[in-house]
Amino acid sequence: MEGRGILIAVEGMDGSGKSTQAKLLYNWLRAKGMPVHHTEWNSSPVVAEATKLGKTTQRLKPMTFHLIHAADFADRWSSQIEPMLAVGAIVVCDRFKFTAMARDGSRDVPLETVERAYAFAPEPDLTLYFDVPPEVGFQRITEGRTSLKFYEAGLDMGWTHDPFESYRILQSRTKAIYDGLVETGRIVRIDALGSVSDVHERVREVFSAKVDLSGVEPIDENDRVAQTMRHSTLDWRRFESEGGDA
Amino acid sequence: MSTGRLIVLEGPDHVGRSLHVRLLSEHLEARGVATMTTGLARSMLLGEQLKGRDRGLHDLNWRTRALLYATDLHDQVIHSIRPALEAGFVVIADRYTLTPEIREGIRGGDVEWVRSLYLDVPSPDMTIVLSAGPRRLLNRILFGEELQALVDFEAGMDLNLSRSVTTSFLEYQKLVRKAFTDVAEEQGFPVVQTRHSVEEVHAEIWRVLQPHVSDMLHPL
Repeated sequence: MEGRGILIAVEGMDGSGKSTQAKLLYNWLRAKGMPVHHTEWNSSPVVAEATKLGKTTQRLKPMTFHLIHAADFADRWSSQIEPMLAVGAIVVCDRFKFTAMARDGSRDVPLETVERAYAFAPEPDLTLYFDVPPEVGFQRITEGRTSLKFYEAGLDMGWTHDPFESYRILQSRTKAIYDGLVETGRIVRIDALGSVSDVHERVREVFSAKVDLSGVEPIDENDRVAQTMRHSTLDWRRFESEGGDA
Repeated sequence: MSTGRLIVLEGPDHVGRSLHVRLLSEHLEARGVATMTTGLARSMLLGEQLKGRDRGLHDLNWRTRALLYATDLHDQVIHSIRPALEAGFVVIADRYTLTPEIREGIRGGDVEWVRSLYLDVPSPDMTIVLSAGPRRLLNRILFGEELQALVDFEAGMDLNLSRSVTTSFLEYQKLVRKAFTDVAEEQGFPVVQTRHSVEEVHAEIWRVLQPHVSDMLHPL
């Protein structure tokens, strides 16, 4: 089918397990033969250098932090997401504009400012928000670490000098914004507590209930097998004994 | 409240912006006014990358480009422009938010959206648009022995106006000039033609600017 594909976003705080779940969702859809593309937040090479410089020199402030991530997203939007949607594919975005709202919003950038910059990115067909209690996320991220990174911990905001304390403040602000998005129905809450398999089960359930795949043209089986075969080979003994092309 | 002033000189490449920014700065300093010069692609964060010709930033899609320029200007606003204004400087900007708007507008970008990226930067107290005909700009490039440095993007080659870099430049500058003139008319910005002698052009800039800084000037 030509035209608008299906846009799926996963959101959640650090340590919520959303990237694991995004990968599982992607691989499931791929295994079903669906045309599907996976893309991650902050992965565009064009802004990598400036972001690194801004972080090491601690020069990035909330507004520039916001804009540079928007630039990264705009690059992926035009080079990956929009082109895939245009040919009717499914795109799984590991973090979407809601991450920008949560992160920049928790740094006091007005949500309208964030929404304006991301105005070109429409609401996804489904956004899964992986919700874990802040304490669990905190545990998963800080386990075995003696310190946290400057921006990761929100130390740029100057709330406190203790990185762990600062991180808790950032977490609670981020969670409040996500909770607001759940309330207005823009993102769908998934209980992210439990085993990876349990959570994936919930993902499939919600996905199947909310997303209609009937309009998506699967990739032909011969093409799928041919692509898979490019990187592997046959068992020639079995091939010969079964009579080859029979 | 800031006591300083933000003065913006806008206009196309080679129109004489840098020269007149420098003269204006020297003139103000001679009259006892502290100045700071700034401009696009000068941030510590992104300046080098935006100026670098080989990184292909200009080949990026228009939204990414617009956002990178917005990041660059905000970095300067946060770290130098706003502090200088608060300290009472006259900040002279060699291009500000108009160029990014016009650049993307000509290329079919959403100007309202580009404008929205700059809603929270300090508003200029005065914007002056410098203007000159396309052929004059090209002749300056030729005489300055800079034709080799005329890069595809500055010549608007991405618009496919012509396959020749010079012809494309002339066509592109026509569009740029019209865009600047239209905005100037709409917003009431003075347009200063730079075909006259340097002294005459500076005198004209000084004349339109003076009312906005007269309270700051000390006698020579």
